[in-house]
Amino acid sequence: MTNIKQIEENLKREAKRLLESKEVSVVLAYARGYDEHHPLPYAARTAGEVGNLIFNEYCTYNLARYLTKYPPKTKIAIAVKAADSRAVVQLIQEEKVKKEDLVILGIPFIGMKDPKTGEEIDQKTTCHMANPVLYDILLGEEIRDAGAGSPYDVLAELEAMDQAARWSFWEKEFSKCIRCFACRKACPMCYCDPCFMDASRPRWADKSPTADGNLMYHLTRFYHLAGRCIDCGECSRACPMDIPLHLFHKKMAKECETMFGQAAGMKIDDKPVMVNYGNQDSDEMLK
Amino acid sequence: MSRIGVFVCHCGLNIAKTVRVSELAEFAGTLPDVVVAADYKFMCSTPGQELIQNDIKKYNLDRVIVAACSPLMHEKTFRKVIANAGLNQYLLSIVNVREQDAWVTDSEDEATAKAKALINGAVYRARLLQPLTARFIDVNSDVMVVGGGITGIQAALELAETGKKVYLVERNSTIGGHMAQFDKTFPTLDCSACILTPKMDAVLQNPRIELMTYCEVEEVKGFVGNFDVKIRQKARYVDHSKCNACLACTEKCPGRGTSEWDEGLVKRKAIYIPFPQAVPQKPVIDRNACTYFKKGKCRLCEKACGQSAIAFDQEDTFREIKVGAVIVATGYDLMDTKPLVQYGYGKYPGVYHALEIERLFNSAGPTGGKVVMRDGREPQSIAILHCIGSRDKNHCEYCSRVCCMYSLKFAHLLKEKTHGDVYQLYIDMRAPGKGYEEFYNRLVEEDVKFIRGKAARVTDKTDNPDFAGKLVVEVDDTLTGRFATIPVDMVVLSPAMKPRTDAKEMARLFNLSTDKYGFFMEKHPKLAPLSTMTEGVFIAGACQGPKDIPDSVAQGTGAAAEALTIVVKDRLELEAATAIVNPASCCGCQSCVRVCPYGAPVFNREKNVSEINEALCKGCGLCAASCPASAIFTRHFTNDQVMAEMEGLMEF
Repeated sequence: MTNIKQIEENLKREAKRLLESKEVSVVLAYARGYDEHHPLPYAARTAGEVGNLIFNEYCTYNLARYLTKYPPKTKIAIAVKAADSRAVVQLIQEEKVKKEDLVILGIPFIGMKDPKTGEEIDQKTTCHMANPVLYDILLGEEIRDAGAGSPYDVLAELEAMDQAARWSFWEKEFSKCIRCFACRKACPMCYCDPCFMDASRPRWADKSPTADGNLMYHLTRFYHLAGRCIDCGECSRACPMDIPLHLFHKKMAKECETMFGQAAGMKIDDKPVMVNYGNQDSDEMLK
Repeated sequence: MSRIGVFVCHCGLNIAKTVRVSELAEFAGTLPDVVVAADYKFMCSTPGQELIQNDIKKYNLDRVIVAACSPLMHEKTFRKVIANAGLNQYLLSIVNVREQDAWVTDSEDEATAKAKALINGAVYRARLLQPLTARFIDVNSDVMVVGGGITGIQAALELAETGKKVYLVERNSTIGGHMAQFDKTFPTLDCSACILTPKMDAVLQNPRIELMTYCEVEEVKGFVGNFDVKIRQKARYVDHSKCNACLACTEKCPGRGTSEWDEGLVKRKAIYIPFPQAVPQKPVIDRNACTYFKKGKCRLCEKACGQSAIAFDQEDTFREIKVGAVIVATGYDLMDTKPLVQYGYGKYPGVYHALEIERLFNSAGPTGGKVVMRDGREPQSIAILHCIGSRDKNHCEYCSRVCCMYSLKFAHLLKEKTHGDVYQLYIDMRAPGKGYEEFYNRLVEEDVKFIRGKAARVTDKTDNPDFAGKLVVEVDDTLTGRFATIPVDMVVLSPAMKPRTDAKEMARLFNLSTDKYGFFMEKHPKLAPLSTMTEGVFIAGACQGPKDIPDSVAQGTGAAAEALTIVVKDRLELEAATAIVNPASCCGCQSCVRVCPYGAPVFNREKNVSEINEALCKGCGLCAASCPASAIFTRHFTNDQVMAEMEGLMEF
């Protein structure tokens, strides 16, 4: 695995080159926040701003989140780790961005750390892939051995619970929600504007954090992300109340993968699985 | 303030048996805005309809709720009723208290309580209903018939007779289907070719039928009155516009392929017409059997052809046609009996299936009409085994309907041609058609041995020296209660008729549903046997279920009439309940574009929002349901209306 300092240097070098040559008009990467452990998402627009760029273990944010914020045809370079690249692929599948408008700077890296806790991030909260699935330039050496363990292993405990226990687990978790919408903000796939939660006619749910409203918000959001969540785990890291949202997403992803044999954001030619019908699709749920 | 009338139907006792209808009407009368509520035995009958119309006028109603059967059954009926009384037809709400209430419980209390909740919801929704204006579209007057068997041929000929243009699409290189393989047809024993080939020729000669053989439907878009169909013309490697059907090419061809026509009993050339009476009479090249395609050398057919019609570089081509209606008559496949190892098909050369026997009888078949077995012997004893795979819970639970009769036909022909002993091993003899029972009686007189029992096994292993060299059929004779072993030379299996192996893909192509076996589903088993849930697409013949020739022909004619009811019109009324997009809320995810089966939503790349082409929209609501931003609503089922209905339901 390439040294993380080296990755940062490669990132700066490529960003500078891309901006100077006007190949792109913006480079989405990271800059220093109030300290080393709290970097910020950063959009460099000139070669001069490239000096602000950093990359370290705490640069967890999924920058694909910002791709949909730019007008169509903007040429963008984006730094992506493995899961982030899956988000980019998923956005390409959904025709929210075009591959030809992007220069994808792939970062093969294992050992990112949660800025909140400082703990190393592994397959318990992310897809834990090592190499980006799609990139134009790789900023480090491809990683051969990513280590064992399925991203779905963490579900064993939840799956072992009976229905009542599982319900009370989620009821308790959702009761913590203060409806700050940080999960929605962090999610690269939550690009709806306005979100169904912001609609006033009909008003699908209470906007203040009531038990019913929390349930409505989270369950609908999970459902909207079925077959689309690329398991970056940003929602849970963004949550100030430490609700393990990623567990629900992982469960949905696992079900989708078993049923339709397609994981989100792996190939740009795939069709978004929930709005694509094939004769061979499982109809288990109808029986 | 709305003025709502609620009309509760008893449906004889269908609803009234479980729902306390008068209590329901009384309850409805107490609901706000309901000015009249009544119940009646058959609301869809003339007196029932008049009751509604009179009340509309008497009470000056502006909304009508009918609590009756499923809207699929009678929504159209009641829309007409209120329209004739001067109300906009969309100011009607149907409450299904039959299929979704009376028929799903035995409890009067539960059924009545649910009916009340449903009506309360409907009243909430009815207040918000909006009058809608129907739209009209032009209708394309051409029809496509898919499948060139007897059913498709019949449908095409009838339609052409009415002056309509017909595209007859057939996958094989000739039309004729299974019927062209048969020698005689039951119960009259008239020669199959004599009654079929003139019809095949009539198709060829008819200027209004465009015959498209060796073609497959690739894609179907659009909707009733306006289907856009993409058709693949498979490469024939023979230019039919040049070919003069001299067939010199087939004589020189050294290639050998398996004759599908003769059920694999013999080989045919690589360039071939399937049988001498094929329509069209022009050959195709079987790529997999052709020496040139396999080895890169040969081209003897090219040398033999005086018309330079051989075209090895031909490729599949595509063509788009527009039609107003479609008839699907794709027929059946015979069940593969190899997996039923107990009958030894494929293991013992003396075991044949029904279509192979048909070919042995046929004068154009591999033996010139003589019944000789694979080893060249003429069988002296033959057992015909009914219900192979049919009426069998492990395979096809249904009765294949034709096997009893063709087995009798086989018995007669085998008797006539071999003078041997013929045994019929049957579970029940089913002969319900016109002249069928008489045919059975005739066979009973013909010294055919009937054994009531399903054959258990066919084997060539036996301890009995008298049975040496024979196939032994083991059967439980249910009339005598004895276990019998019958030594025979030849065994004929009468296998189940099954849906085509690609029926599921076809169903997807035409938006048809299939039953649990894979046969195409009709809209209503009694009242709409040829219609499907896709308007403008009709089914006929064995693709809907096992059928004999008379039934298939009747259905072909019926489907032609059904298609005509559409293409005879210049304009067609479209459902007014279409979807619209609120561009301010659209997030541009294009889920609607992807889920719509009719291609109605299009993505406007300038504005980055979806838009609905209303001419294509059928109001199914898929787009509205899949829109994550709830930017789409369907008229007549707006969010407000649906939420109000739910609110009304939840009050109970």
